[in-house]
Order: sequence, then C-alpha cells, then structure tokens
Amino acid sequence: MSDFLDLILEPLQEVFLKFKVFLPNLLAMLVIMVAGILLAKVIRLMLVKSLNAINFDNWSDRVGMTTLMRKGDLWSKPTAALGAVIFWLLIIVTLMIGLSALRMHAIDNLVEQFFAYLPRAFSAAVILIVGSLLAGFISRAILIAAVNSGYHYSKLLAEAVRTLLTVLILAMAMEQLQIAPGIVLAAFSIIFGGIVTALAIAFGVGGIDAAKRMIERENGAEKKDEIEHL
Amino acid sequence: MSDFYQSGSITTLHQLGKSSLERLEAELLGFSKVSPIALALPALYSEFEGPAMPGIVQELAKVKYLNEIVLVLDKGTEKDFQRVREFMSPISAEVKIIHNDGKRILEIYETFARNGFNVGERGKGRSAWLAYGYVLARGKSDVIALHDCDIVTYSRELLARLCYPVAHPNLDYVFCKGYYSRVSNKLNGRVTRLLVTPLVRALQQIIGQNGFLTFLDSFRYALSGEFCMITDLARVNRIPWDWGLEVGSLAEVYRNYSPRRICQVDIAANYDHKHQILSADNAAKGLMKMTVDICKSIFRTLASEGVVFSDGLFKSLLVTYLRQAEDTIIKYEADAAINGLKFDRHEEAMAVEAFTRAIGMASQTFMENPMTTPLIPNWNRVISAIPDIFEMLRMAVDEDNCTTHHLGSVNVK
Repeated sequence: MSDFLDLILEPLQEVFLKFKVFLPNLLAMLVIMVAGILLAKVIRLMLVKSLNAINFDNWSDRVGMTTLMRKGDLWSKPTAALGAVIFWLLIIVTLMIGLSALRMHAIDNLVEQFFAYLPRAFSAAVILIVGSLLAGFISRAILIAAVNSGYHYSKLLAEAVRTLLTVLILAMAMEQLQIAPGIVLAAFSIIFGGIVTALAIAFGVGGIDAAKRMIERENGAEKKDEIEHL
Repeated sequence: MSDFYQSGSITTLHQLGKSSLERLEAELLGFSKVSPIALALPALYSEFEGPAMPGIVQELAKVKYLNEIVLVLDKGTEKDFQRVREFMSPISAEVKIIHNDGKRILEIYETFARNGFNVGERGKGRSAWLAYGYVLARGKSDVIALHDCDIVTYSRELLARLCYPVAHPNLDYVFCKGYYSRVSNKLNGRVTRLLVTPLVRALQQIIGQNGFLTFLDSFRYALSGEFCMITDLARVNRIPWDWGLEVGSLAEVYRNYSPRRICQVDIAANYDHKHQILSADNAAKGLMKMTVDICKSIFRTLASEGVVFSDGLFKSLLVTYLRQAEDTIIKYEADAAINGLKFDRHEEAMAVEAFTRAIGMASQTFMENPMTTPLIPNWNRVISAIPDIFEMLRMAVDEDNCTTHHLGSVNVK
C-alpha cells in the first residue's frame, strides 16, 4: 500500500519541487510584465505630449503622413497612432523579456530570434515612412512640373510615378523583413517590369505620330538650313 | 403668374405662362452632358422623420439629369445613417451621404481644427461647406445646386428651374438664387418682409448709393435657402456658419463676380417649410438669433466695403428702419386684404419691435468687435494648408458609404 502511495506522491512531489524552482522565475516575469506595462504607458504619455508640443499632427497633415494612415482606414490622430505603435512595441519587448525570465530553452530561442529580427523590422519601417514621403514629394513635384508645362495628363503621370515608387518601396520593405525574399523578388520583377513594359508600349504606340512629326520637323530644319546656305 | 419686370442690378427670371417641366428636364439632361450637376442637401436626421423628406426623395427619384447627390446628415447616429442610406436608395443618381457624426468625418473636423481652421458650429452653413468640399474633391461635377430638406411643398420643377440658368451653356450665369412667395392662409416670411428689405432700404437712405445694398435689394427673397452655382464659386466663396449664411453668401458672390452673371429665378408658386418661433425675449434662439446674425453680416459686409459705422449712424438706423418697417406693414396689409389673406397687424408690429431690438443688439456687438461675424475659410485656403484634405475627405465619405449593414426593416416614416 505504501509503495502504491509513493507511486502517486513521488510525481506530485517532483512537480511541486519543479514548480518551487520555477516560481521565482514566474514571479520575476510577472514583475517585469507589470513594470513594463506601466513604463510603456508612461512612455506613451510622454511621447504623445512631446509630439503635441511640436505640432506633430499638423506636420503630419501637411507632409501626407495622415493621408497614408487614412488610406489604411486608420482614423485616429497621428500622435495617438504613433503612441499606440510605440506602446504595443514596448509591450511586445516586455513580453519577450518577461518570457526570457522563465529560463526555458524553447522560449529563450524565440526571444533571441525576436531581438535579432528587431533591427530588420525597424529598417523596414524606416524604408516605408521615408519611401512614402519621398514618393509623395516626387509625385507632387511631377504633378506641378507637368501642369506648369501644360501637359494634359499630369495627374495620371503623377499617379503612375507614385504607384511605381510604392511598388518599389513595398518590395524593399518586404525584402528587408525577409518575407519570402525569392517570391518577393520575382513578384517585384514581374510587376515592375510589367508596368514599365506596358508604359513603354503605350508610349511607343501612342507616340508614333509625335515621334514622326519630330523626325520630320528635324529633317525639314536640316533642308531649310541647306537652302539658306545656297 | 408673375409680371416680367426686371429690378435691380441682377437678372430676374420669371415664371411666365404655363410651365413645361418635361422640356426643362429634357434640356437639362442635354446640358448635364457638358456640365454635370451635383445636388447638395444639408439635412438633419429629424427631417427624415417629418413630412418633407419622403416627398423630396420621391420627386428626386424621377430626376434623370443629376450626376450626383451629396447629402450631409447631421445629428444622426450610425443606425440613423444606415437608415438614411436605405431611405435614399430609390434615387437613381449616385448618392453619397456625409455622416457628420461618424468617426471619420469627426476626425476630418479635428484635422481642420488642429490646422487653425475654425469651421464653426454644426448647422446648415458648415454642412453646405463640407458638401461643396466633397463635390470639389470628386471633381465630377461643374454645377452645384443646394436646397433645404424641410420643404413640404417640394416638386422637381423647383430643382429644374434652379439649375437651368447655371447649367445652360449659353446663358453664362455663375450663381442663381431661387425666389418664391411664402403664403398659406396668411403672409409668412417675416424676416425677409419685415427685417431685410426695410433694413436694406433704411441703410440706403442713410448711407446713400451703395453697390452691395443695391445688389441685396435686387433679390426678391434674399433669405431663400435654394441656389445653384458653378463649382469654381464653391471653391473661392467663404461661408458664414451662423444664420448670416444666406446674406453672407450673397456678399461673397457680390465680391467675386459681376452682378451681370448673377440671376434669381422664380422656382415655385408657393413654398412652405419649418417655421421658426419669434422668441422676442431671447436673443440666443429662434428668429431673434437669426435677426442678430443677419444684421451683423450686413454690417460687416458694408464695413468691408468702406462704410464707416458710428453710434450716431446706428441710432439713426434704428429710427429709419422702424419707419420703413411700419410703412412695409401698411403695404402688406393691403396686399393681404386684396388676396383675402389673414393679416394680424399687431403681430406684425410686435415682430418689427423685436427686430428693432435685434438691430440694436447687433449694432452693439458690431461696435464692440466688428470681426465677430464667423466665416468658414474658402477651400482654396484649406487646400494650401492641408494639401491632401480633398483626398482625406473623399476617403472618409467613400469608406462610410461602402460599409454595409443589414438593419432589417427601415423605420423611417
């Protein structure tokens, strides 16, 4: 009977001992999580206040960042959105640190991979933000230049350039994130190449008459020049 | 049938002979191929529960020449918005509803505010301004017509006659205001009859010849809420967001265009809509609030024209106005008598007394701060400050109108 009881109690004691060893880690994780959440909230508050002080929303409206958010059906203030992004990023970091406090081999690997991936995610975010601003700026510059030159399809041209740049930026960001890089590269080559080929064909076919006129004008000018010399 | 007399500095287009709605609509359908027409409707949700809106929708469903209808819904919840979408579904033209209380449009207002634009409090002025913005943002229409949503005597002839002068490619009008008589078993339209016309004439008597006063006096119903204009005008005009909306809009039209390109058109034999209470004891609501706002708008426009206002001028104005208004009452008493209409002379005199007090209040406010009349900035200025605002507005409205909800039966009466 005693052996039978030992058979039941031994695994329980083993579990209890393991839990006793594990308990401080669990407490450490909980403390890290609570402190992390509080810190993330404080940082978000300070960030939003600082951004408000430098009129970040206003700046964002003017440079097109707000429009970018609206395109993604995100209708909060840019400061609030940025605050939320930073807050959740900090929460994820806190969670990772908290999990690493558990000192479990599988989780340690996951945490290591996460922190190794962070610089890539950061670079991709920077590429997206700077790229979008640059695409907006270039597209607007082309629009203004084309309108001032009296070009009839200015808006279409500006939108085409913006689309091409957006495709390029998205491909760069996804390549940076290492999301199926082979597929992204192939898809980008096909899409970008396709757009450029389509534009080249469209321009080539549509511009036959214009090119013909230009060549004829050039020939005409040469002949005229010869006559004047005579 | 009216006479054919042309008065003042603008063109008056009368209702002469038998009307032919079919001809007007057929011609408008042709014009709309060259100049697409948008209809802006500033509406409160409560108006969908009243008697006017069902009739308006029924009539609009038969109109073929409209390119788009932009309805700005105010004071409506998300469910109300969905109900209104269902309610407007019989109309064949493309209908877009701007949900003023929706989260996306509220964020658009927030964007205006943080960029230093005071677009005022909710009301017809702000709604009309936003509707113009959306029409401009879409860039699919060249002409914008606007009418109220509380017209119980609505017929589509009103809309056709309103649009015709501006949509007609050979007439070259940029702005057309509707006029009509406001008669039931008595004469209505107290603010126009007993305030605006006597006040303008009293000011003419004191100040002398003035282009804006002549222009304002040319309108048979300066306070009518129905007008039609080219989209360029919607881009450059500033709009008052208070009750000075109609007079202030006319002042902007006068400022930006020659009176030769402005007209008024007889749009209805009779017209009835929601009546405002006088509230003679409270200058913050009803006709008294309307009166104070209208007077301030007129004073500010005249001051911007170079007219110098002083205490003495305002004192004379009160007395001159009172005399003009008393004479007007006598004229309308006779008019009512010959047409067999009820006429309460005491009530009319009480209204004039209240209006006189309102002019006094408006002049006092104006002397304290002549810049108090609120004007919503024009769209050109807004675009220069927020280059992508049209894109944002278009996205907000289109996203709102894309969402589908199944509400079951429509509860709007």
